[in-house]
Amino acid sequence: MEEPRIGVYVCWCGTNISKMVDVEKVADEVSKLTHVVIAKNYKYMCSDPGQELIIKDIHGHKLNRVVVAACSPRIHELTFRNAVEKAGINPYLFEMANIREQDSWVHTDRVEATSKALDLIVAAIRRVKYHEPLQKRSVTVDPATLVIGGGISGMAAALEIANAGKKVFLIEKTNQLGGQVAKLDLTFPHLSSAQQLIQPFIQGTENHPNIEVFLNTEIRDVTGYIGNFKSTVQMAENENIELKFGNIIAAVGLKPFDPSKIEEYGYGRFPDVITSLEFEEMLSKGNILTKYGKEPRNIAIIHCVGSRNKKYHPYCSRTCCMAALKYVHEIRACLPSANIFEIYADMRAYGKGHEEFYALTTHKQIIFLMYDQQEALPVIRHANKNDNCNMIIEMNEKLSGESIEVPVDMVILMVNMEAHDNVKEVVRAIGVSLCGNQFFIEKHPKLDPVATTTGGVFIVGTCQGPKDIPDSVAQARAAAARILATIAQGSVAVEVTTACVNENLCCGCQTCVRVCPYGAISYNPEKRVSEVNEVLCKGCGTCGSACPTGAISSKHFTDKQILAEIEGIMSMSFKGA
Amino acid sequence: MNYRPTIVSFLCNWCAYTGADLAGTSRLHYAPNIRIIRVMCSGRIEPTFVLKAFQQGADGVLICGCHPGDCHYHEGNYKCLRRFKLIQKYTSQMGIEKERLQLEWISASEGQQFAELVNNMTKTLLLLGPVKIKQSLEVQHLKQ
Repeated sequence: MEEPRIGVYVCWCGTNISKMVDVEKVADEVSKLTHVVIAKNYKYMCSDPGQELIIKDIHGHKLNRVVVAACSPRIHELTFRNAVEKAGINPYLFEMANIREQDSWVHTDRVEATSKALDLIVAAIRRVKYHEPLQKRSVTVDPATLVIGGGISGMAAALEIANAGKKVFLIEKTNQLGGQVAKLDLTFPHLSSAQQLIQPFIQGTENHPNIEVFLNTEIRDVTGYIGNFKSTVQMAENENIELKFGNIIAAVGLKPFDPSKIEEYGYGRFPDVITSLEFEEMLSKGNILTKYGKEPRNIAIIHCVGSRNKKYHPYCSRTCCMAALKYVHEIRACLPSANIFEIYADMRAYGKGHEEFYALTTHKQIIFLMYDQQEALPVIRHANKNDNCNMIIEMNEKLSGESIEVPVDMVILMVNMEAHDNVKEVVRAIGVSLCGNQFFIEKHPKLDPVATTTGGVFIVGTCQGPKDIPDSVAQARAAAARILATIAQGSVAVEVTTACVNENLCCGCQTCVRVCPYGAISYNPEKRVSEVNEVLCKGCGTCGSACPTGAISSKHFTDKQILAEIEGIMSMSFKGA
Repeated sequence: MNYRPTIVSFLCNWCAYTGADLAGTSRLHYAPNIRIIRVMCSGRIEPTFVLKAFQQGADGVLICGCHPGDCHYHEGNYKCLRRFKLIQKYTSQMGIEKERLQLEWISASEGQQFAELVNNMTKTLLLLGPVKIKQSLEVQHLKQ
């Protein structure tokens, strides 16, 4: 092995790191270590000048290894790997120390945070010495795509890919395409028909020669890897079909929250307390009528039902405020003299044209009443005989500070949108993760919002987080573009950090064969050793830790590398403490 | 000298490491005694890693993986659990208290839980004092 010549770069991340970590001191300390040729600190290592700094030093100081101490490797490992590769070094001769997410952002003592940063960087330096160059591997990409979910997002993505001449399998668990949008009457803020939006999508999808639609079909298990996935779908008539595809788009959407959990609103007890989706259905039929077939004289619309409330869901569903304002326009057109009450917690009109739409609504002779989510929810009760209305809403009106009673004949609950019950099965099948609100986690919240950390798996629409139609469609088309790019290239780089067998050490016990969850290891009876199929191996390293002779190692996570990291961590501030 | 407990921690890339990152992005504060090493799966964690950490002077070792059923590699965390039980048996025979070696499940969304875990383990280690492998081995030796 050539003598390591390591360059170390400590990032300030503006003040994100530098305010809690003495970056200059850290760089100065590590510059004294063996094999460290140069150690620098810089404001933003991920910026172009930051990367240029590394590239220039690699050339100028003949560096053969690089350590960057900055944010989480989950954010910028690839950025820096690409930078060192540009300078002619194998991208795996690089290591990152996470001194932001796991140091400067979580500690409040500058001395402690600085010594922690030092330990982590020393660990990275010790580790990188044992890094080995790994050769990039690419696999061919099957040009077909699997889209899971036939709502507007799934169909937009499917059509985009199909129009480019590529095959799409679209599976939908219900018996029809259209998703939530198909259940709407008008859309905000233009009050245009949802059916006019969605019907051409549905017909286009159903009739497209490149799209194969599977209704009443759910995803069970997906095997394979980016470019080469396989899945067996079970159709209603118990017929199994095996599909092969190169990429996956999850567009499984969200479902409406069940408001019967909220005692105060009496959903299920009062026939004229209905959900927003039930009201949409009523609007589509063209009549606003109570259960007794009468026109309601007083209608209340309650916002944030199940949203922004610790008891139910902490997040904002994003579309309900505007939908609630849309109802004002629709009710007014139908019932010019009805009293309309918007009972809201906070009005959110963040989107393009939304604030204008809100302003327009205020001219429709309606009454806005504010309630405090944290204090108490409005309570619906039966009205008395001589009240001249069906129900009474008792509430503390926040702006006036008064307890009031609102007479109503119909109440529309703006229900939260939440994850489907089977969402865990879907994420398990396609190998992605969920956040605390049960939304799919994207690869990068800002820079890569449609990809996931699993190669070839994309997420679009509301399963990634509540959003309106334009945002859903934008994501869908973005994911389609990403997939078309890999299809156009024909091949895609895959993870090379797989397991490998040292045949001289392998005793043929086949322990690894039994522990591998992917069937990637097989026993060669002639050679009496185990062999790894690198295409199937996903690099979890379980075989490496089970191997009794140390014959199997996980590339880039070898024993030597990890043990060196442990030594590095313990070598500085903890030494003798 | 002031006793400052040291925790060497092994986190799986997909759930626990992401959860620890989330603690950061959520600006949750926790004790600075922990140093994290990333592995792709908790199933990768070998007894050697744990022993090495204790040998190098760690007062505690914390292993975190995905919750049962949520492993990115299907079942690596179960393998980790079995291995963990064995390592813990072994280390306790060496006189290392059970509390010094912990295995917890942390999902990608459990930044808060991770922060609490680190704080609790730090507190436990403060009560236990520095690791005493040598002393207990000496006692064993004398008995023989």
